[in-house]
Amino acid sequence: MKTAVKCDNLYFRYHKEYILENITLKIEDGEYIAIIGPNGGGKSTLLRLIMGLLKPTKGSIAIYGQSPQRAKRVIGYLPQKINFGLDMPITAFEAVLQGRLSGSKLFYDEEDKKTALRIMENLGVANYKDSKISELSGGERQKILLARALACDPKILILDEPTASVDIEGQKQIYEILKNLNMTKIVVSHDIKILFEGVDRVAYINRRLYMHDSPDLNIEHSEGHFCEMELFEYLKKGCDV
Amino acid sequence: MSDFFSLFFHSFIAVILLSIAVATIGSIMLLNRYSYTAASIAHGSYGGIGLALYFGVPMLLGTTLFALALALVLAAITYGNKERNDLLIGLIWAVGMSVGIIAVDASGGYGSDLMSFLFGDILMVPKSDLVYMALVDLLLIGFVALFYNHLLAIAYEEDFAKLRGINVKALHYATLLLIALTVVMSIRSVGLILVIALFSIPPFIAERFTHSLKAMIPLSGVLSFIFSLAGLLISYSFDISATASIILVSAAAFLISMIRKRE
Ligand SMILES: Nc1ncnc2c1ncn2[C@@H]1O[C@H](COP(=O)(O)OP(=O)(O)O)[C@@H](O)[C@H]1O
Ligand SMILES: [Mg+2]
Repeated sequence: MKTAVKCDNLYFRYHKEYILENITLKIEDGEYIAIIGPNGGGKSTLLRLIMGLLKPTKGSIAIYGQSPQRAKRVIGYLPQKINFGLDMPITAFEAVLQGRLSGSKLFYDEEDKKTALRIMENLGVANYKDSKISELSGGERQKILLARALACDPKILILDEPTASVDIEGQKQIYEILKNLNMTKIVVSHDIKILFEGVDRVAYINRRLYMHDSPDLNIEHSEGHFCEMELFEYLKKGCDV
Repeated sequence: MSDFFSLFFHSFIAVILLSIAVATIGSIMLLNRYSYTAASIAHGSYGGIGLALYFGVPMLLGTTLFALALALVLAAITYGNKERNDLLIGLIWAVGMSVGIIAVDASGGYGSDLMSFLFGDILMVPKSDLVYMALVDLLLIGFVALFYNHLLAIAYEEDFAKLRGINVKALHYATLLLIALTVVMSIRSVGLILVIALFSIPPFIAERFTHSLKAMIPLSGVLSFIFSLAGLLISYSFDISATASIILVSAAAFLISMIRKRE
């Protein structure tokens, strides 16, 4: 089996204090990994390292054997925060099309448009094609952004809190879609109850990373499972951080 | 009478050329929240005016070089560091203006012109400036037409744009350099102080009423044209400053758009 993501003894800091310490992680091709952990624990930072948007302070990362800088093409990404004003003038279709861009591609061709539309149809959001994104509901918008992440036909899908502003029904729909996608998936989430049905492994990140091999994190039966008390406490609180 | 017509004709052309710049770079500026940086370039450019006077370099040339240099410095400061650089941006703003004031003083006798650089005079735009404005407009249109999709992707979300391989850094620098040229092209018509207001208000209103940048850009241009023309008319009727009239018309439209949108 090919290894999709391999982090070896990874450290990262912006300033003095390390935000991530001693991260060693191996994700196989096709695996579905959930990442949980408190706010500020370094989840988004790890994703940005994997995507080559940040450089490790120490340690190494390989994506299908390549450096993250060279592997950007194979990654589809849904960011945690979109830094636009309320009225950002962009339609849903334009946003999804952005998934087709590359450094040398300035204009979209027919194939790009067909692909974008097909993915929107598959996710059931094609009817919002010409809507201004900022006027959609949280769930609709996140499905559009999921379509945008999928538009480059990625081998690895990285989603950073894709359901943070989505109602329960929308959350279920999004995780159902994810379950049926056939690729390596790394999803940061606090919605453990819904999410865990489909995932292969769960990583807990709070400066360090603890990998839990069974997705069965049912709190009632699990006290004995957890070598990490911190993770147990986190789950007991219901992840409401 | 024919004198008046040719005077007004020049202003009319200037208004059209300004509106094109507002529409293109003003929209990109707003979506990327470059307004404060742009204001720093605009005010700091007064240093270029002063130095050009002092060294006897042609005004447009001297100011262009100085503004481009400021834009490069600001691009380096602001790239990848959106939050914590207000202090430096403000410093460049103040230093540029101070250099300008000292240089103008030292060159002597030009003090009376200060107001005309700060506020411009759209009724007195020389022909050579119109050519400069047209060239900058062509650059702006070419830039936005070519990089439209990349610019929109960056404005929407930078990390995603970087992941897709878009050269975010180069486009950041290019945008600020073009803002600098736009500032210089507007000095004689609307002046350094008010150029930012004129370049922000029409795109701001247009943004609220359009679904796509493709529509926002032309709407900004049309709004800017209407505001400028109305301002000119008011200024002519009441014999008051054209620039101030244009800005006040724009500000009034801005307030009305806020009320209407809230309904
Ligand atoms: N650009 C930055 N500069 C300095 N510190 C940062 C920056 N981005 C994030 N951090 C810090 O890094 C830590 C981890 O953040 P993040 O990875 O976003 O956590 P999470 O996604 O788990 O909530 C936080 O303490 C945050 O304040
Ligand atoms: Mg995060």
